[in-house]
Amino acid sequence: MNARQTIFKSILWWIMGVFAVVTVARFVNGLGSATALNDGAPWGFWIAFDVMAGVALAAGGFVVAATVHIFHLKKYEAFARPAILTALIGYAAVALGLMYDLGLPWHIWHPMIFPQVHSVLFEVAMCVMLYLTVLFLEFAPVILEHPLFAWPLFKSIHSLLKRVGVPLVIAGIVLSTLHQSSLGSLFLITPYRLHALWYSPIIWIQFFISAIGLGLMTVTLESFFSAWFFRHRLRMDLLSGLARAGSIVLLLYAAVRFADLDIRGKLGAAFDGSAQANLFLFEMAVAAVIPGVLLAFPKVRNNAKALGTLAFLSVMGVIGYRFDVCIVAFARPEGTTYFPTWLEVAVSLGIVAAGLLTFLFAVQHLKVYPQDHVEPQAPQAGRAARRFEPAVVRSMLPESLAAPRRASLAVLTGAALAVAFLPQDALFGARPLPAPVQLSRTVDAWVLPRSGAFGHDFILPGPDGTPPAGAQAAALTMIDGNRDGRLVLFNHQRHEDVLGGDGACVLCHHQDMPFHENTECYLCHRDMYSVTDIFDHSSHVAWLDGNAGCARCHTDPDAVRSRATAMPCLECHVDMVAAGARVKLPAEGMTGLAPGYMEAMHELCVRCHEEKAATEPGKYPLELGECRTCHRDIGEVDLKRRWPYLTKEGP
Amino acid sequence: MDAMLEWARGPVFVFSLTFMLLGLLRHVLVTFYEMRRTLGRAGDKVLPYRQILKATAQWLFPAGKIRHEPLFSVTSMIFHVALLVVPLFLGGHILLWQRGLGISWPAIPNALADVLTVVAVVAAVALVVQRAAARASRDLSRASDYLMPLIVALPFATGFLAMHPALNPFPHQAMLFLHVMSGNLVLVLLPITRLSHAVLLPSLQLVAELGWRWPLDAGSKVEKALGKQGEPI
Repeated sequence: MNARQTIFKSILWWIMGVFAVVTVARFVNGLGSATALNDGAPWGFWIAFDVMAGVALAAGGFVVAATVHIFHLKKYEAFARPAILTALIGYAAVALGLMYDLGLPWHIWHPMIFPQVHSVLFEVAMCVMLYLTVLFLEFAPVILEHPLFAWPLFKSIHSLLKRVGVPLVIAGIVLSTLHQSSLGSLFLITPYRLHALWYSPIIWIQFFISAIGLGLMTVTLESFFSAWFFRHRLRMDLLSGLARAGSIVLLLYAAVRFADLDIRGKLGAAFDGSAQANLFLFEMAVAAVIPGVLLAFPKVRNNAKALGTLAFLSVMGVIGYRFDVCIVAFARPEGTTYFPTWLEVAVSLGIVAAGLLTFLFAVQHLKVYPQDHVEPQAPQAGRAARRFEPAVVRSMLPESLAAPRRASLAVLTGAALAVAFLPQDALFGARPLPAPVQLSRTVDAWVLPRSGAFGHDFILPGPDGTPPAGAQAAALTMIDGNRDGRLVLFNHQRHEDVLGGDGACVLCHHQDMPFHENTECYLCHRDMYSVTDIFDHSSHVAWLDGNAGCARCHTDPDAVRSRATAMPCLECHVDMVAAGARVKLPAEGMTGLAPGYMEAMHELCVRCHEEKAATEPGKYPLELGECRTCHRDIGEVDLKRRWPYLTKEGP
Repeated sequence: MDAMLEWARGPVFVFSLTFMLLGLLRHVLVTFYEMRRTLGRAGDKVLPYRQILKATAQWLFPAGKIRHEPLFSVTSMIFHVALLVVPLFLGGHILLWQRGLGISWPAIPNALADVLTVVAVVAAVALVVQRAAARASRDLSRASDYLMPLIVALPFATGFLAMHPALNPFPHQAMLFLHVMSGNLVLVLLPITRLSHAVLLPSLQLVAELGWRWPLDAGSKVEKALGKQGEPI
């Protein structure tokens, strides 16, 4: 291997290391942890790149097969094997990418036994499965030529496959035509969500024509890659022929899209200067117009550099078309955004890297390129000139040992970096989102005693409301810590009165912050659901004179310095805990960890209500301790639905 | 400073630990693969397993080897004991494992850890001094031989100061940051430097033995590498 191959392969293996880690994260902790996909954007980067663009990129297989075997342009036979290999790897990559995107990837075979015959997606699924099989059978003879398969059985399979070659090619063309267009047909269901410049009733024709153009350009680009990587000879005579066909197809594609817009009266929208219009013009220019026009000139398409650049431009443009249809020009519900996480991009890059490594492996071990393609390698100058050093074992290492060492080091570095940069959710599984709690507000309301029942009804007056008969005005505390629209109205004044006036504050306000009294709940219980740390270590370090102060709290030199072994807070903050509070300190004393707001409220209010109902049955009804005493915005049905989460025992 | 400390204890530590674990695993796999391959190509496939096992055991617990170079050997052994015991069995470190992954094991007393930490730093310096003092070892040494014990001693020195804030003239968080980062550095260096003998040590005798099992055509390859085919070497 030369330095170019070594570096390129090492980069591919490095990506494989990242890919491996991301794969584990995606399948262990799920789509939600690893991706930015959501219910508003269920189709993201993977569908756009791995499936939509992947299938189109692999179109070279059937285009070249048709050229050689149906149109009998035998001179292009040199491209047949590489194109079919690329298509095979491309379709395998599509299937692999789909496994990442499906929520239940082990159901991927279900279309075969649960056919949904009215579904376009069913047709796509069946075609892709069948075409993958056809591609494998088309490429199998190349594999069977390897000396490993020099057995009579394999020889007879080889000759059988050779005999059914043309039927296979025809099947491949039929299947490709069907699903290349059907991937576009999928979007016929979204006439209002897909932007008018991309939506079209004939979007399936546009997908098919652009796939043919992309297939030709991909085969061209792949020749450039092989020439660069393997130092193969560039067959400019053949490539220029492909480019001529490509030019015609790309111009046809551009004509169909512009004509379609014009006929439907939407062409004006392309020139209104909006972001979408500019994106559309840019996409068309890059994908079809510029390469199509320039490649029409023999002088341009016979120039290797120009041809390579234009092929690259066109490939990027058509991939961009698939991205635009799938993601960019696709309207999402209000408030839903989608931007892929780096893990999604890493999976797609990893699949590409795996495909490239498979391609390189196949080219090295199988007769993919005809012999006259392969230029004899120039003898490497460095090897002979190297001085023999007994100390340097590496110079004696055979190539077959150095390659696995390099590859494994690249994989290792990629994997370790990926683990370090995994988002917390992808590393440890999804955790509750932070739900910061805010101060409760006071609202003016009417309080209406219930006739013949315990308690009062609360009525929030509208702007011009008149109070119902018997209602009294009162200021209620609106408890809706995380401002999610669900709220509890709390009659603070009435609780104060019933529980004994001014002295009753400490019953609930159980802890005072320094230089504070009757501290509000939300100042310590800072998250709706999670435990929060309310101890400020760095401030204590500053107040207690830095390093010299450590021993004032961490008094025991033999103990591990931690929250548990430090001096109890109450030794200094003697009046922090209110005497006579209902809320008792935990057994281990004050820890600086405050339970979530919801738990704190439930533990305080529900326990007290239950106790009152049990100890003073004449004064309070039994249902005082039930949810709806406070949660008046929840109906019966809602309560039933939620019971496993609200009580420990159930109803 | 707090944010930097979080960064060092978070992503950088995760990277270093993963790199170390996977890297050492890679070393073991590559070593076994190559040993297997060497044996497969060797002309003489008969290995004296009993002797190899004995030599391996002797070098794993080299008490019997002290007489060759007593002072250096004892320093080196003490250095290695401190190196293994303190990071793995310090109570503060075990607490971090407990918090992060919920696993824990018995800790050594902090006082013992203090002593071993000082021993490790002193032994590291002593190893470098002894290496530089003798002409024979000086001639055999490369820069990394002097550097490596000092790099390994860094987390010990910074850790000692972090454990004893009263003796530490620098801000505590900054010292903790240096401690974590130097520890991360050692973790990363483990699989890519000679420190990998931490896992490869049990196989060294076997590798050395296999190294003398030449392939049948080894002679002609040496001739070719030297460019002296057909000439006397």
